[in-house]
Amino acid sequence: MAVYLIVNIGLNLQEGITGIPNFGILLAVAGGAYFTGGLSTRLALSLLGIRTDLSPVINNVPVLSLINPILISQPLVAIGFMVLFLMVGGIAGGAMGLISSAPAVRLREDYLAITLLAFGEILNVIGVGYTPLIGGPPGVSVPDVLGWAGQYRFYAGTFVLLLVAIAVFAYAGYLIKTPLGRTLRAIRDNETVARSLGKDITRYRTIAILIGSTLCGIAGSLWVMYSGSVTPTYARLDWTFLPWLMILLGGMGSNRGVLVGTFIFVTLDKLILYYKYAFAGILPFDVIWLNYLLLGFITILILIYRPEGLVRTWQREPQAAQAKK
Amino acid sequence: MGSLLRVKDVKRSFGNLHALDGVTLNVDEKTVTILIGPNGSGKTTLINVITGFQKPDEGHIYYGSTEITGWSPQQVYGTGIARTFQIPSMFGKLTVLENLLVAEKNHPGESFAKSMVKRLWAKHETDAIEKATKIMELLGMSEQLSTPASLLSGGQMKLVEIGRALMSDANLYLLDEPVSGVNPTLAHEIFARIIRLREQFGITFFIVEHRLDIALKYVDYVNAMASGKLLAAGPPQQVINDPKVIEAYLGA
Amino acid sequence: MELFPTIVSWLTYSALLSLLGLGVTLLYRTTKVANFAHASFLTVGAYVTYTLTIILSPNPYVGVPVAFFVVGLLGLLMFYAVLEPMRRRNSSTVMLMIATLAFDIMMLGVTNIHADYLNTAYRVPSRNVLLTRLDFTFMGQPGVLFVALGMLVVCSAAMYLLLNFTTLGIALRASMENPSLAESIGVNVSMMLAVSWFIAGGLAGIAGGLIPLWTEFSPDIGTILLPSIFCASIVGGLEQIYGAVLGGLLLGLVDVVGTSVLASIIGPWVAFYEPIIPLIVLSVTLIVAPQGLAGLRVRRGK
Repeated sequence: MAVYLIVNIGLNLQEGITGIPNFGILLAVAGGAYFTGGLSTRLALSLLGIRTDLSPVINNVPVLSLINPILISQPLVAIGFMVLFLMVGGIAGGAMGLISSAPAVRLREDYLAITLLAFGEILNVIGVGYTPLIGGPPGVSVPDVLGWAGQYRFYAGTFVLLLVAIAVFAYAGYLIKTPLGRTLRAIRDNETVARSLGKDITRYRTIAILIGSTLCGIAGSLWVMYSGSVTPTYARLDWTFLPWLMILLGGMGSNRGVLVGTFIFVTLDKLILYYKYAFAGILPFDVIWLNYLLLGFITILILIYRPEGLVRTWQREPQAAQAKK
Repeated sequence: MGSLLRVKDVKRSFGNLHALDGVTLNVDEKTVTILIGPNGSGKTTLINVITGFQKPDEGHIYYGSTEITGWSPQQVYGTGIARTFQIPSMFGKLTVLENLLVAEKNHPGESFAKSMVKRLWAKHETDAIEKATKIMELLGMSEQLSTPASLLSGGQMKLVEIGRALMSDANLYLLDEPVSGVNPTLAHEIFARIIRLREQFGITFFIVEHRLDIALKYVDYVNAMASGKLLAAGPPQQVINDPKVIEAYLGA
Repeated sequence: MELFPTIVSWLTYSALLSLLGLGVTLLYRTTKVANFAHASFLTVGAYVTYTLTIILSPNPYVGVPVAFFVVGLLGLLMFYAVLEPMRRRNSSTVMLMIATLAFDIMMLGVTNIHADYLNTAYRVPSRNVLLTRLDFTFMGQPGVLFVALGMLVVCSAAMYLLLNFTTLGIALRASMENPSLAESIGVNVSMMLAVSWFIAGGLAGIAGGLIPLWTEFSPDIGTILLPSIFCASIVGGLEQIYGAVLGGLLLGLVDVVGTSVLASIIGPWVAFYEPIIPLIVLSVTLIVAPQGLAGLRVRRGK
């Protein structure tokens, strides 16, 4: 869930705060993931000074068996790698963001959304087809940076994820309160006036996308490290649609809303999965499809009845009462 | 007193509509000048062209000794010219205070790198807040500082619009119908304050205004436009008694 | 590379794309939204045909008219249940887009359920289905080529006649150009939009109904083809309805023939990247010439 949180905050920064409909965050997330997957093994090899004739990608498993034992025995090195990989992910995400920003400055809402969506899908196809990157459809495993934790691997991993998520959340909260955050929101609200006040719209939009994408890239990287491998099946559903759903649910523009939305969604999702068998009895069809039905249905409900999400950015009632004095 | 703003022979058409058909006018420093004219005479287009929201097809615009023809709105703002919009345009989801703070020029907190280190911009921010608060007091809106702008009444929005312009410490203010929809008492107050600002700080105002009944007693000069051309320019009494002007208004 | 089969493939594909693109463009013009659910529309059409070949008659073309109505009704349903309420609340175009995406996801669930049902109830494969064996041949070519092209011609002509020579059509055009004006002279804009959704759905149903005769399909066929459909619409120009026909032709050309040519020159691994083609064309068009081909033509004319 923490991973989703990071991604969603990244998206929120772009859409909720600055008003950029980035349907291509898949690009950033996958970018982070793929680059981490592709580069991490190579980096590990070179940094550890291991010499081998095997290719890190195609002969993935044997190569890893050379690396992992070292990582397991030296936790500090492993943690160092973790940070390094995170940076790789972040940079990759940011780079993807830059690519996204090129059209972002020229296109309007829905055209922009479609273009960015297309970008994300393109990366996916490349991921599948271009073997040297991450080994095609079967994907590639990454050095186990958490191996030193042994049987506590799960807890260590969760801890790291939470740590990063909290850091990101705090940063985003801080950012909104800065003049930069304020200007971004202003641009979202009224671009013309912002221009008349001397703001360079292009520059600010690019900044927003950069930050948001870097966050998404970090998330992608984390995901890869946590699950131990990366495969090029990042579906349109998972990383493009769901983040939007989650921030819509909670309320776009407000970080707290993003938190709420993410939390509710992930909880519900896990619940459905958990009680799958209970459902299987009642429903005449496979439970997986229930997911789709519900997702679509809930989204539509939200869009029609509560587009601002569950957590309002402004407490409208008390403010409204006060202003009408 | 030198000329602060000079518009020379500016033309701007939209298809077959000649919104500006060779307009030449002059605004002197430290004066309060208004621009009058019937609807559709090109007043707002002129402001748009001066401030860079539209480019003139022909002609030149000078601010002091610099030519600013064709500059972008950002550049125009940077050079010391501020404008308001005829239809109040707010940053809806931001509070009144925030609306004003956005106008602050060259705030170090806006740069990505510097925003991360609070110390680098905290002082500037406090100063800006102080300035904004004082401006809002001047305009009688201190109560509304934390109200989201979208909840304001039309008249209040107009005031915020003016307040925002004042934040910029500009030398030349182009106000587009600043008191339309505002009750007469408040309108008089606003104009009185404009005069005071001129006295105290030597600021120049170029105002598009319909309501001669209110504006006339405060202004130094009147420029009258019709059908994209300047009809007359000079002290108020001279212009409003000019037969061409009378005909344009009555004939419209 | 064999030229003739490639050309046949190109023309068939283009015809289908154009039919689908026409629908998307029509919907964009009337409701101002890029309809992601078009993917489901065509999938439903495909499954209608398939289901009918199982329970009714082995002639695959029986499904086409049925698909027309079924998907047309689906379009109507989608309009009234989802888009109309949102339209009334003045939702932004991005929100509308997300709504179509959401509906598409729901329908994905539905079609999958249906596929499972076919599987269990009739003991037939319901994924990766290909029905070309049921097609007739004419002049040595698969019948679907002619039917697809024929349907494209018939539908385009019908649309043209409808839009230009009937009151309904004129009201529809009015709703597209200037809804508020149309409303004020008594046109029921809401109903016109509903009609456009029925038509677009119907067109998608026809194209979807023919899909089993051209390619293997599963419930995700719509999702796979969607980028190409959007591409056809956009390249043709969203402002001009018939542009989609041109777009379909062009994209089909680049996609089918292009891949073939590249594969024979550079190597078969190119085929892996085939899905990128519509995506790249789409992106480039949007960035460089958002009005599409039709738009370019108009501008040069001025």
